[in-house]
Amino acid sequence: AGVLAAHKITASSPDTDLPTVSGLRKMGVNFTVSNKDTVKSSDVLFLAVKPPIIPFILEEVGPDIEPRHIVVSCAAGVTISSIEKKLSTFCPTPKVIRCMTNTPVIVREGATVYATGTHADVEDGKLLEQLMASVGFCTEVEEDLIDAVTGLSGSGPAYAFTALDALADGGVKMGLPRRLAVRLGAQALLGAAKMLLESEQHPGQLKDNVCSPGGATIHALHFLESGGFRSLLINAVEASCIRTRELQHLADQEKISPAAIKKTLLDKVKLESPSLSLASASKVSLFTSKSKKN
Amino acid sequence: GVALGAWPRLAMEESELLVGFVGAGRMAGGLIRGLLQAGKVPASNVLASAPSDRNLEAWRELGCRTTHCNLEVVYRSTLVFLATKPHILPGVLEEIRPAVGSQHIVVSLVAGVTIQTLQRLLPPGTKVLRIMPNLPCVVQAGAMVFSRGSNAGDEEAALLKSLLSSCGLCEEVPESYINIHTGLSGSGVAYVYLFAEALAEGAVKMGMPGALASRIAAQTLLGAAKMLLETGEHPAKLRGDVCTPGGTTIYALHQLEKGALRATVMNAVEAATNRACDMAKD
Repeated sequence: AGVLAAHKITASSPDTDLPTVSGLRKMGVNFTVSNKDTVKSSDVLFLAVKPPIIPFILEEVGPDIEPRHIVVSCAAGVTISSIEKKLSTFCPTPKVIRCMTNTPVIVREGATVYATGTHADVEDGKLLEQLMASVGFCTEVEEDLIDAVTGLSGSGPAYAFTALDALADGGVKMGLPRRLAVRLGAQALLGAAKMLLESEQHPGQLKDNVCSPGGATIHALHFLESGGFRSLLINAVEASCIRTRELQHLADQEKISPAAIKKTLLDKVKLESPSLSLASASKVSLFTSKSKKN
Repeated sequence: GVALGAWPRLAMEESELLVGFVGAGRMAGGLIRGLLQAGKVPASNVLASAPSDRNLEAWRELGCRTTHCNLEVVYRSTLVFLATKPHILPGVLEEIRPAVGSQHIVVSLVAGVTIQTLQRLLPPGTKVLRIMPNLPCVVQAGAMVFSRGSNAGDEEAALLKSLLSSCGLCEEVPESYINIHTGLSGSGVAYVYLFAEALAEGAVKMGMPGALASRIAAQTLLGAAKMLLETGEHPAKLRGDVCTPGGTTIYALHQLEKGALRATVMNAVEAATNRACDMAKD
């Protein structure tokens, strides 16, 4: 998006073999295996590790956190207060911002929300907003809404991919080649989303506008309604939100011992937690530094 | 006979209109109440016929004139409403056919009888219109659609619409919509009664006395419908306006969606419409 020069970004990861690492290097991002080095050369720290790892990362980098640092956590279910609590042993007034984004930031159509912590100023929030707005939609919310956002737009792309897969199947069943079916399905959803975002009208009205009396669309919609399409989507958002809260609750209980922390960081071994097992040992920490103020 | 030129003009003055009803049952009664209450026609200009006196008493109380002779209604009226039961109508049409002339406007309320059938059983050139009302015409909150036959023109349509708007919503439509109207609104009132009953039962389950629950349920439906009609907003928008985040309404709506209420209602309208079509063929 051109808001930051690549050389102003530093990323660290213990595992240098990850494909993401070489990708970042190619973009001109500074890379290091030392989290501490990254902290020292950054002003804004994005913590992009898996949620169970957050406490250990905070333990590690805590001593190097200075008042100027803005710590941004993107970890699902990890509360601002838990981060502040961890950091407060090292720094009296840590600036913490919690954010929830989603994968389409990759194509600059992300959906991001953030909540500011106790010691983060308005400016700090605005800075983050400026950064994230360059890759999509970004707005501030109260922290207690973040789980709901996770359920809706965090998981949302997965619902869309599932829908698109099925729509393409429908197209194929009715005779379209797969590639074309996928392309058309995706474009249909993209176009519909764009219409909705650019329109003042309620989605129900937009739907009506497509349904000519006795026509094809209304027949199809009847099928969707019969299958409880709407309630399935409501259920999905609800389930994702509730699960996020469960995970947060489990994380708060901190069932993992300090010995296991060290083992994880040093050995790059899969972390077995009581609630979930990580599919990969990916622990890339992406630290960015903010552009110099004038 | 009267000179053809004079009659139509006279007939169009609503207050001078001579209105007849062949059949005086509940639907006809609803229409006449609406017309009289809106002052559209004086009761003295109204003549209704029925085989027995059972229904006619109520008409007399309104100030209308009554008879047992269908032919008399036709002779003494310009606007003739046919409001018999479907299976009776063919016989009645045969009976009154000799008296029907070019001055008449014949409006059929009879369910399932097409304009084609009406025109076939009446003299060629007769001005025929077909109307499908619904029960709340009785309280002047009806929903009616009508279609015109080949010889009914803009004047007749305008007259009918003007008169019947006193009973509620009245719109002209292509005849193919009439069966749909049955499914939506003719039968539709029953769906609403069912919904109202269920709402009240839910409240009773939660501890409210039944009579109070029923009245509140009805008022809720009335109020919501009124808002829909008066604001002209899309129902989805109005629904959203009631749903505070994480509040009671959205929780309840989720239950309705889980029960596929929307699809069920669509099924109902479809079933009634199809049935109306099937019955019309009999």
